[in-house]
Amino acid sequence: MDLRELRRKRRGRFMGSLLPYMGYIIQSGVAMVFILVLIVFSAWYTSLLRDVPQDLPIRWIMLVLLVPAAAHSGFRTYLQQPDTIFLLPQGHRMREYFAPAWVSGNVWKLLRLLIVLITLWPLYIRTETKPQALLATALVLALVKLLASCGLWRELTMQSRSAAGAYQLLRWAVAGLMVAAWLWQPPLQALIFIVLLGAAYAAALAVPKRLSVPWERLIATEKNQGARALMVLGWFVDVPGREQRVYPRRYLSRWGSGLPWRKEKAYRFLLTKSFARGDIFGIVLRIAVLSMLLVLWNRSSYLGSGIYVLFVFLLGVQLSALRKLHSESFWLTVYPLPEGSKGRSSVQFITRAHLVLAAVTGWPLLLTLGTRPLPALGTLAAGILVCYLFRNHLQRKEAAPDDDL
Amino acid sequence: MNTAPVLEITGLSGGYSLNKPVLHDVALTVQPGEMVGLIGLNGAGKSTTMKHILGLMSPHKGDITVQGKTRAKDPESYHNALSFVPEAPLLYEEMTVREHVEFTARSYGVDRADYESRSLQLARLFNMEDKMDTLSAHLSKGMKQKVMIMCAFVARPALYVIDEPFLGLDPLGIRSLLDFMMDLKTSGASILLSSHILSTIENYCDRFVLLHHGRVIAQGTLAEMNAAAGGRAQNLEQLFYELVQGGK
Repeated sequence: MDLRELRRKRRGRFMGSLLPYMGYIIQSGVAMVFILVLIVFSAWYTSLLRDVPQDLPIRWIMLVLLVPAAAHSGFRTYLQQPDTIFLLPQGHRMREYFAPAWVSGNVWKLLRLLIVLITLWPLYIRTETKPQALLATALVLALVKLLASCGLWRELTMQSRSAAGAYQLLRWAVAGLMVAAWLWQPPLQALIFIVLLGAAYAAALAVPKRLSVPWERLIATEKNQGARALMVLGWFVDVPGREQRVYPRRYLSRWGSGLPWRKEKAYRFLLTKSFARGDIFGIVLRIAVLSMLLVLWNRSSYLGSGIYVLFVFLLGVQLSALRKLHSESFWLTVYPLPEGSKGRSSVQFITRAHLVLAAVTGWPLLLTLGTRPLPALGTLAAGILVCYLFRNHLQRKEAAPDDDL
Repeated sequence: MNTAPVLEITGLSGGYSLNKPVLHDVALTVQPGEMVGLIGLNGAGKSTTMKHILGLMSPHKGDITVQGKTRAKDPESYHNALSFVPEAPLLYEEMTVREHVEFTARSYGVDRADYESRSLQLARLFNMEDKMDTLSAHLSKGMKQKVMIMCAFVARPALYVIDEPFLGLDPLGIRSLLDFMMDLKTSGASILLSSHILSTIENYCDRFVLLHHGRVIAQGTLAEMNAAAGGRAQNLEQLFYELVQGGK
């Protein structure tokens, strides 16, 4: 069996399954908005470069943006559940199968890291009094990235899940320390520290007991990766049958239990639970926190207003994915839910969540009510208007489901 | 006494493709308080029949009524009158066992007090009391099947459509399920049950419908079917071989 060919075919099949959506992505309004955001960001960044603020904490900015790009890794293995039967006898040869996954995973992630670095570089050399050389920085970051990728692969193969969790923290800490050392220390000292830390990390990785091929874990990871790709696609078009990753989130287990005991609210109960334990909740929470911080930072300028409205829009895009969450659910066909209750519940839930998030992310604007009441209230009104427009859009989609893919 | 059938299928032809129907002129009824065993080889059309009853497939010809209602005319009443246990568990990974049962009860409009007492009784019956707050993704296959059964039974509709319920269940679970189905039957519920474990269902079902290549080739009580087949069979298994393979 040609394992490389098998992975290549599976990758081709997955890419082929995305192709039909490409036309819709290009046509979609969301794609246009992203291009617009890119143009606005470029204009803002250019003006920032022309007039760099004094005392800009550039090393911290570099650290915060470069460490996630360096430490975060991922591989697409395209493994499936039946592989635990049919590929099991090939266990000793699976290195052939995984090698291209490792290479392509790293190539794309290195490219991402390079884009972040090159974007930050003009700001860095204008602000930093003793900047490091670009090529040397790129090489150091690539080294950190490759080390983090090795670390992730080892974590996946570890027998103990608690050990894997601890090593995940260690990977981020090691990457953070290495990047920080490079940004704060002279090149030679930084390099010595990085090499020593890298050697210690590599030695630590050799300690935990490992499985030769962690089938179940790789299949679960692959399922999540595939779902994430479809989720990104879901920002632009309606992708049917998307599965989401589940997190226990015990602190939210009571959410939804207090809903009125009526058939009309049954789907709302399911949607609340799905939102509370799904990946969309984590994403909107992260977007909301980022939005709040940026709005707080820029609350006294029109830039803050623009950021607020943009983030309310992005939250709407994310929340809209909830509408298609159970689009192919077997039980929703079999259970006697009142006609139209699914659509009504979805729109109602999404709109309420959107309004709550718009209020939460907009509170920093209230701090400027005393000094600039009109822009603050106008911006909040614009946020509410975005929520209203999203609700209308969702209602139209519910009324004409044939427009969905 | 009300003798109108709870489930009535007449002249049902259907399948995945209009050109290649799987079912041919299937007719069967399930009366109130009756348990009917739907039996046949793999691919005989048992699951396809059930999918038509559930409304997952549209008949090419024929009618299906549940408590006199068709799915086309009154879908909510139609679905309110039946619940289903699938062959393979279909659960929402993001919900716990308790939440699945609660979602089902809410969907069927079960009174809250009834839901609470029934879910407690079912959890005890199927030894799931300590798993009620576990996410379904963390359950074994047998436990997932128990959740399916609990969901179907919390609704208390007029008709239960049960597809291969014993797969994955432990012996205690099988016994609990059979006893509970007998209790439901006694209280007037109707059950259409598909299973390959003929020796088990022989003693529990009132009547049997034997499907072969998508056609009903025999139906009735065990005695009626045996008499029609020549009266040589000692039990349901032998009768099944007689009818399907001509005794070979």
